Amino acid sequence: MADLSFLPESLRRQLAEIGQVDVLVGIPSFNNARTIGHVVRAVQAGLARHFPAHRALLLNSDGGSTDGTPDVVRQASIASFETVLAAHPLRAVHRIVTPYHGIPGKGSALRTVFAAAAVTGAKACAVVDSDLRSITPEWIELLVEPVLERGFDFIAPLYHRHKYDGTITNSIVYPLTRALYGARVRQPIGGDFGFSGRLAEHYLGHDVWASDVARYGIDIWMTTTAITGGFRIGQSFLGAKIHDAKDPSVDLSAMLTQVTGAVLSLMGTHAARWREVRGSHPVPVFGFEYAVGLEPVPVNLARMLERFRTGARELGEIWQRALHPATAREIAAIASASDESFVFPPTLWVRTMYDFAVAYQHGRLNREHLLRSLTPLYLGRTASFVVQTRDAGAEEVEQILEELCLEFEREKPYLLERWDETGGGR
Amino acid sequence: MTATFTERLVGSLNAFFEAVLRFLPGLLAAVLILLLGLVVGWVLKALVSRLLRVARFDRACDSNGITQILGRADIRTPPSLLLGRGLFWLVFASFAMAGLSALGVGFVNRLIAEFFLYLPRVLSALLVLLVGFLLANFLSRAALLGAVNAGIPSPRLIALVVKLLILVLSFAMALEQLRIATSIVLAAFIIAFGAVMLGLALAFGLGGRDVAKRVLERQLDTRTDETPDGFSHL
Repeated sequence: MADLSFLPESLRRQLAEIGQVDVLVGIPSFNNARTIGHVVRAVQAGLARHFPAHRALLLNSDGGSTDGTPDVVRQASIASFETVLAAHPLRAVHRIVTPYHGIPGKGSALRTVFAAAAVTGAKACAVVDSDLRSITPEWIELLVEPVLERGFDFIAPLYHRHKYDGTITNSIVYPLTRALYGARVRQPIGGDFGFSGRLAEHYLGHDVWASDVARYGIDIWMTTTAITGGFRIGQSFLGAKIHDAKDPSVDLSAMLTQVTGAVLSLMGTHAARWREVRGSHPVPVFGFEYAVGLEPVPVNLARMLERFRTGARELGEIWQRALHPATAREIAAIASASDESFVFPPTLWVRTMYDFAVAYQHGRLNREHLLRSLTPLYLGRTASFVVQTRDAGAEEVEQILEELCLEFEREKPYLLERWDETGGGR
Repeated sequence: MTATFTERLVGSLNAFFEAVLRFLPGLLAAVLILLLGLVVGWVLKALVSRLLRVARFDRACDSNGITQILGRADIRTPPSLLLGRGLFWLVFASFAMAGLSALGVGFVNRLIAEFFLYLPRVLSALLVLLVGFLLANFLSRAALLGAVNAGIPSPRLIALVVKLLILVLSFAMALEQLRIATSIVLAAFIIAFGAVMLGLALAFGLGGRDVAKRVLERQLDTRTDETPDGFSHL
């Protein structure tokens, strides 16, 4: 068993008192008093309704909230089980509220959850974000049941999302992860996952808890580690994902830098693995999938294009050090197109991302600066996507994203060629 | 008279040959020290250049923009070799000074003592310049990226101002290390720095009054006339 000495003494004592459990649900939190009560109630109802005969534990791993989050978790309860259940649960759901030790971040919070799973011998686990407003008791069934009853090791979420939601996932994280590792996990950084006790132990065995994984890269790390570790992977359709408004001080560039940096860093770690992968395979889906609503949302296309053009004008020197000369020339050419005829072709975007991946490994530029310089390019690609899908329905949008993913797969030889040319990751 | 002349001639020649004989071991020692300096300098140059290459120093210089700056000055030598050569000359110069002191000439000895006392100041000034240069490049690029991503007008100007300020500051610090007209440099720096800041403030306040007004309004007013995006990027 991995080293568990980082667990707080009080938590160890509580876990020892509880003993073995079948299902463990972890909720990482930091100042989520507004929303976590609803999440705890949904988890409690989900466990009582769908796993009434199983021993269950709800673990809140908190990062030192100052808004009373732990108190809300302790006090949250379902007023009357009759309103949500057909029968009374056979077993009470244990509940632990604990601070985590280590670098502040979701990764450290989840490390505590993995360790608790190892101590209690949990067969199936789930983690859900504490800022969710749309979570229902069914989410727990959908994340836990495939692990507990069908032998899956990792269940990623599938959400009902607007075509302009999750654009970093759609244009970078999903296609890149799919092309690299060959598994079509649609929401690799969804944040709400189900996993087996076996996989929790596997996660614990990795020495990544002093890195960015502990801070913010945990979601893509969990997905990638599950895929590359050869674990059995599935997806569950959870419906809509609505969460509390994000902190406005976290700007797009910082978000993009963190997410892309996590993906590219893992790419270096698993180079030997993804080099051998060709094409991709579907991943089993659980749950009832339904169509995506497409109500219009405001989009400031002119501003996105202006940022892209400013980048093309001002960051040419930085881009030239990251991009292949042909890619840099093509980007300079499209920057002069008019707003309405603007197109950032999928092939050009794929090559841009692959060039950045190679530059990231090669270290020809400070990594933070390299990733920050991606923001105008990402906005250019997103603007092109908006122009292309302005009147498109859900199926058409999904088809366009599928084409982009296939382009990432087709262009993989280009990535390999450049990776070897520059000695990236060796 | 003839005897006196001969005595004087012989005496002078004796004195000359004695002086030469006294000087010769020193000269020989000086030549040997110089040769030793050449060998030690060459070995250290080869060793340091190789170590720097193994530690990917050239690549680090490439990513920090040092190679590009050297290229602009038409210096194509890899930075690792350049540093190795610098070390060679430093070692050789030190041995040369030691060699000169072996000659036992009074004023040369004083010069050498001053050289060795001044050497640490030269090295620390070079270090200050190098760190200042690296910092200026790094922060000006960070400012450029930050300004572009935040949609701030004239990002290149902002980056240039950041770079110049840091370079001027490090140059003044290097001169202060070298003790070159310390008070004048300090006064000139304070005046120049103050003038730049005042100039920027005036330019922003008078020339860019409307821009300043818009920026402040945008910062202080949470309402915005721009259409907010309905995107959730993650």
